[in-house]
Amino acid sequence: MTRLFILFSFFLIAKNSFSQLMPSNGVADSKVIYYALHHVNVYVSSSEFVENATVLIKGDKIEKIGKLIILPQGCVEIDMEGQTILPAFIELYTNIALPKPANASEGYRPQMESNNKGAYYWNESVHPEVEAANLFKIDTKANENLINMGFGFAVTHVQDGIVRGSGALISLGNENVHKQLLSSHAGNFYSFSKGISSQSYPSSQMGSIALLRQSLYDLNYYQSNSLSKEESISMDRWSLHLHGPSFFKVTEKWEILRANKIAKEFDLDFIYIASGNEYANIDYLKKINPRLIVPLNFPLAYNVQDPYLARQIPLSDLKHWELAPYNPKYLMENGLTVALTSDGIALSSTFWKNVRKQIEIGVSEKQLLESLTEIPAKMIGQDARIGSLQNGKLASFSVFDGNPFTSDAALLEAWHLGERLVLKTTQKNIILGDYSLILNGKTYQLTVTGTKENPSGKIFYTQEKIEKKKTIVDTISSAVTFTINQGDVSMAFSFSNEPSKNGYQLHGKIKREGIIIEGDVLLPDGNWGSWAAIRKQKNKEKSVDDKKDESLIATTPKSWSPNLAFGRTKEIADQPLVFKNITLWTNEAEGVINNASLVCFAGKIILISKGEVIIPPNAIIIDGKGMHLTTGIIDEHSHIAISRGVNEGGQTVSAEVSIADVVNPDDINIYRQLAGGVTAAQLLHGSANTIGGQSALVKLKWGFSPDEMLIPNAPKFIKCALGENVKQANWGDFNTVRFPQTRMGVEQVFYDGFKRAQVYKKDWDAYLLSRKAEYTIAPRKDLELEVLCEILSGERKITCHSYVQSEINMLMKVADSMGFTVNTFTHILEGYKVADKMKEHGVGASTFSDWWAYKFEVNEAIPYNASLMHQQGLVVAINSDDAEMGRRLNQEAAKSVKYGGMSEIDAWKMVTLNPAKLLHLDDRMGSMRVGKDADLVMWSDNPLSINAIVQMTVVDGKVLFSLEEDKLLQTRDKLERARLTSAMLRDNKTNQETQQFKPKRNKNFHCNTIGEEESESENTH
Amino acid sequence: MMTRLRVLIVFLMCFTSSFFGQKTLLVNGFLHVGNGNVMPTAAIGIVDGKIVSVKNAMTTKYDEADWDTIINIDGQHVYPGFVAPNSTLGLTEIDAVRATRDYQDVGEFNPHVRTQIAFNAESNVIETVLTNGVLFSQATPRGGTISGTSSVMFLAGWNWEDATILMDDGIHVNWPSATSGGGWWAEPAPKSINKDYANQKNNIEDFFQMALAYSVSKEVTFDQRLEAMKDCFKGKKRVFFHAGEMQQLLDIIEFCEKYTINFPVIIGGHDAYLLGARLKDSRIPIMLERVHRLPELEDEPVDLPYKLPFLLNQQGILFCLQNQGDMEAMNARNLPFQAGTAMAYGLSEEEAIMSISLATCKILGIDDKYGSIEVGKSATLFVSQGNALDMRTNKVTLIMRDGKLIAITNFQEDLYNKYKKKYEKE
Repeated sequence: MTRLFILFSFFLIAKNSFSQLMPSNGVADSKVIYYALHHVNVYVSSSEFVENATVLIKGDKIEKIGKLIILPQGCVEIDMEGQTILPAFIELYTNIALPKPANASEGYRPQMESNNKGAYYWNESVHPEVEAANLFKIDTKANENLINMGFGFAVTHVQDGIVRGSGALISLGNENVHKQLLSSHAGNFYSFSKGISSQSYPSSQMGSIALLRQSLYDLNYYQSNSLSKEESISMDRWSLHLHGPSFFKVTEKWEILRANKIAKEFDLDFIYIASGNEYANIDYLKKINPRLIVPLNFPLAYNVQDPYLARQIPLSDLKHWELAPYNPKYLMENGLTVALTSDGIALSSTFWKNVRKQIEIGVSEKQLLESLTEIPAKMIGQDARIGSLQNGKLASFSVFDGNPFTSDAALLEAWHLGERLVLKTTQKNIILGDYSLILNGKTYQLTVTGTKENPSGKIFYTQEKIEKKKTIVDTISSAVTFTINQGDVSMAFSFSNEPSKNGYQLHGKIKREGIIIEGDVLLPDGNWGSWAAIRKQKNKEKSVDDKKDESLIATTPKSWSPNLAFGRTKEIADQPLVFKNITLWTNEAEGVINNASLVCFAGKIILISKGEVIIPPNAIIIDGKGMHLTTGIIDEHSHIAISRGVNEGGQTVSAEVSIADVVNPDDINIYRQLAGGVTAAQLLHGSANTIGGQSALVKLKWGFSPDEMLIPNAPKFIKCALGENVKQANWGDFNTVRFPQTRMGVEQVFYDGFKRAQVYKKDWDAYLLSRKAEYTIAPRKDLELEVLCEILSGERKITCHSYVQSEINMLMKVADSMGFTVNTFTHILEGYKVADKMKEHGVGASTFSDWWAYKFEVNEAIPYNASLMHQQGLVVAINSDDAEMGRRLNQEAAKSVKYGGMSEIDAWKMVTLNPAKLLHLDDRMGSMRVGKDADLVMWSDNPLSINAIVQMTVVDGKVLFSLEEDKLLQTRDKLERARLTSAMLRDNKTNQETQQFKPKRNKNFHCNTIGEEESESENTH
Repeated sequence: MMTRLRVLIVFLMCFTSSFFGQKTLLVNGFLHVGNGNVMPTAAIGIVDGKIVSVKNAMTTKYDEADWDTIINIDGQHVYPGFVAPNSTLGLTEIDAVRATRDYQDVGEFNPHVRTQIAFNAESNVIETVLTNGVLFSQATPRGGTISGTSSVMFLAGWNWEDATILMDDGIHVNWPSATSGGGWWAEPAPKSINKDYANQKNNIEDFFQMALAYSVSKEVTFDQRLEAMKDCFKGKKRVFFHAGEMQQLLDIIEFCEKYTINFPVIIGGHDAYLLGARLKDSRIPIMLERVHRLPELEDEPVDLPYKLPFLLNQQGILFCLQNQGDMEAMNARNLPFQAGTAMAYGLSEEEAIMSISLATCKILGIDDKYGSIEVGKSATLFVSQGNALDMRTNKVTLIMRDGKLIAITNFQEDLYNKYKKKYEKE
């Protein structure tokens, strides 16, 4: 069997390796040139499988694979009968072999400037100069983990920051860095996560988006302006690598759509490292057809034993547990390019379990292999070298003792660049079966079961005795413990009926592949003897079969829109809606009309009638007897449905950020607001800074995408703020650093911003006029100043958070002197003191009905404010600023009837028509007129009555909430929860690992919420 | 001298002693008794601050000469004073200004800390609450495991002594949560089972055991904390347990049985509706979590907080409404509208009224004098032009404490009138 091992020490391996330049200590290492692996099953690529083949390796490359190969002379041959070879997998998302980045934060005070001293970019989280290749050191332990899963290559990068720097393609293995560093720049990495940076800016996802865009503009400016620029190491390095592959790490499915907008803007082609919940977003992803790197890491089942605790797990998490394993499959089925990543998986056994789960649910071996090898190779443009085992490619592959896709096969060897690494030797001698064992002349029966590596067994003999003249056959048996190591086996057992309990200790040599075992025995009396066993029958290896209760596991689980409680399961057809016998609150000259009818179709009101109407075909008819129909409530000031941060509090002017970039359609509060009759809202930036961020004007379209929620061609708005929040008056003693800390400073921030914007505009105008002269260089594009220019020109309108009369007056004077008009003061709790001045300036007001006493600047806030301002002829709206109050704004409007004696019709307009006016949307919303948007609410009573309950809410002609459907959804959710909990209980029994439950809390954004996560702290608005 | 008054005229006779011995008759009001009953045209006789007769004004004749004052309220609604239990009202003026916050002291077990003396009778906030018909509050401390001792206060007075309705009515225990973690808002971590729960419960038990022993022993040295606990075991002080989750509620039921606490009350109890008979059998009343709030859990029915009063009522559990939470002090004036919402979502109007009047007084132990307009009780009531549970019609025209009239304006209305006049002049 064994052939001669021939050493080739005289040949130089033809290879571009700097390691060859390194002097060696002692005599030079010898290298084998040719290896031949025989009788092995090989996946040459995802589309080529050869059984019982020979693999010929020359140096670090595959020379040839085939059934009949003429071997060169002097070749190390290895028999791999029954084993399977897979091309080495490629991991694109890892930080293996790199140091962990550390942060140099100092204390609790806000850090306005970068700690990254030197000629780098001004923001710590933008560091394109960080290059993995410079930091690469072999990390044996981390290597082992990936190798055990079957990986042979990795693109590693420092997983930190927004512009993270470049990744290096490395080969795994423990040879040397020179050989293993295959490419210094395999790709650029980006994300929206700030990482370890302790700099104040950015503190929100919209800030990250703005920062990434601004830095890309800065890069363009840097590149196109080589003469008069300031040197920047960051920009230099970034310029060098910009056009390699670009990877974008997301933490949530919607982030792909967000990043894709940036990709389009800057003509970049991002490959997305997905978050794992993209299955819930496929329809939208298909439209942009991105390439994805999808995690094979799936959530563990929750521990659901205790029903008190289990009931706190949101249905969305239960559903995600079931759907997550289907994520790669669903994405592949929809034609997206999918590579897979092991990111987040700690154990190779988990990795393979998850791979096999893919096969189980219908992903083909070909698809799986492709997405672990060829697809990632193509993504980094290295498919000529890696990704398959075709002739001439790098000899990196894994050897298993069976087919790992279909069986629990063990990884035996990993080859990296032609270097063999033996991980496990197979137990070739299999002793499973029934043996006759002769020991000291006595015959025993030995049954060996278990696995070939871990046998277990039983030994027994029969003994006849005569009792009461009858022959009785006794069977005496003992359990046997085994230790097996290739050709050697030791066993121990003892019989309870024997006088000595010492037992027998056997050692034996396995011969003829387990047919015979023979050796010596240490007997109970301390003497030595000999023994032999002969196999009578072979036993099969015990396999672990985990049977699942199919009835509990959906065969093709479906996600809802959104994928949480009350999510929609089907599309809503575009049918005409007819309300009849109903009281209409028109908000028009007609006022309130009893016993009227209204028809809407294709999103618009098409008919209003004081009596009956002709019913269009296929219409949904709603008999509104005793009911009231109004237009939808419009919340001028809302912070719901926003992802990761409502305040960009890092700088006091952050006009460059936009809530429209981070609209989150998965917020349960959208559904809750619909249940309160709200159909549209201005999602505002918070009040942490003087010039905050741009607003998103949305309709509360439950089950639609962020872009579908945004109101098309909506006017542009921006949030500004005054007073205590801006000057950080209630933020504790550490926050006394950022300018401004007084109302005096706030005024100056405005003037400074607007004056800078004027200069900026002048520069650009001059450039645009002289563009034909080729030598003119475009000024730097500044996203913040561009927005301020929009304010100056009146193109963008201000909604300003305000409380006391002094600051209200101040901003109007600033605006007057700069030649624009403030559109809306929000909160405006002392508006009643300067209503005449407001009227003169032409500003509207959006206020709370009765809030006060929560901070000093609301000490003279009075609930009569809305009435007094209304009496002075201002357009007054009542807003929420609060997810809870937002769903009963009808009650809040009604308070002005009490405080100040406003008429009911005027009070009602404060939450419908007036906010529409303030948002300049009153041409399409806020009242009932033919042609206006069909945003309608049916109430059980006068909508201002305490007894009014929303029966139905219609947005753009579609019923997105109704009490009737709500009941059905509650039942559906209950059943779905029961089904998933039972499935988890079953999983709890078979799997040791579970995760602790994680109830979602009512965390909601308010004006003053800082940071990416929602606040539970005291609300100071 | 007999006077006849039509209310609507601002009637100022507050804090005068001249009313003692006065005989007042309120006629032609729509009476909401507070106990579930109504009387559409009532004549309420008040002598020395006490209600001496409640009769139907249509069918009963009265001799005008028998009364010093007859107030014809002309179809307006008469209610017993509403009560805002479990509130920091009067203990805080401006939430964000630390100097004005007086509801939380240092320490884990502070039963000896008393709110009564910190109650600011001249608070600007309390007068805005009073003028919506909420006449009482239970000034309640916050923080720690045992926050301290509350007192029931009237929302007007020259000083805290004058305002006190029931001194030191009970101690407040913040029951530990069976879940813990969750990180903080900027770095949320997965929440998990509170492994320390048993231990934290034991700490409470230890304290109660010690207090129980102290209450009967004659040989111990004086302990301020345990001294304050004594009355809890004598049934003179109530024990208010702040808790919401099922696990907590069941443990509290067990705890109360073990320590034979005579008057336990649960404050919060958002899961109480799931316990049904077990809670009813325990006879522990609930001061229910704020009606105007979002559901606890993402999956819960959107209107569950609105419906909870109805669900508890249906199960026959004694409950009342309270308003702890964000901006609770100023928000106490909206308590009538929270009851209104509970009415829209299932309670009858009178049940809703009861949940902020008689039921609350029963739970606080002041129903012998307050909470309903019945013979023998104190004439502490108010009159509203319309339904006091509806924002549009809650317009308070008369407030009475023990038969004496109280001012029905507040500084906010003064500011309103001041600026209204400014604009009218211009």
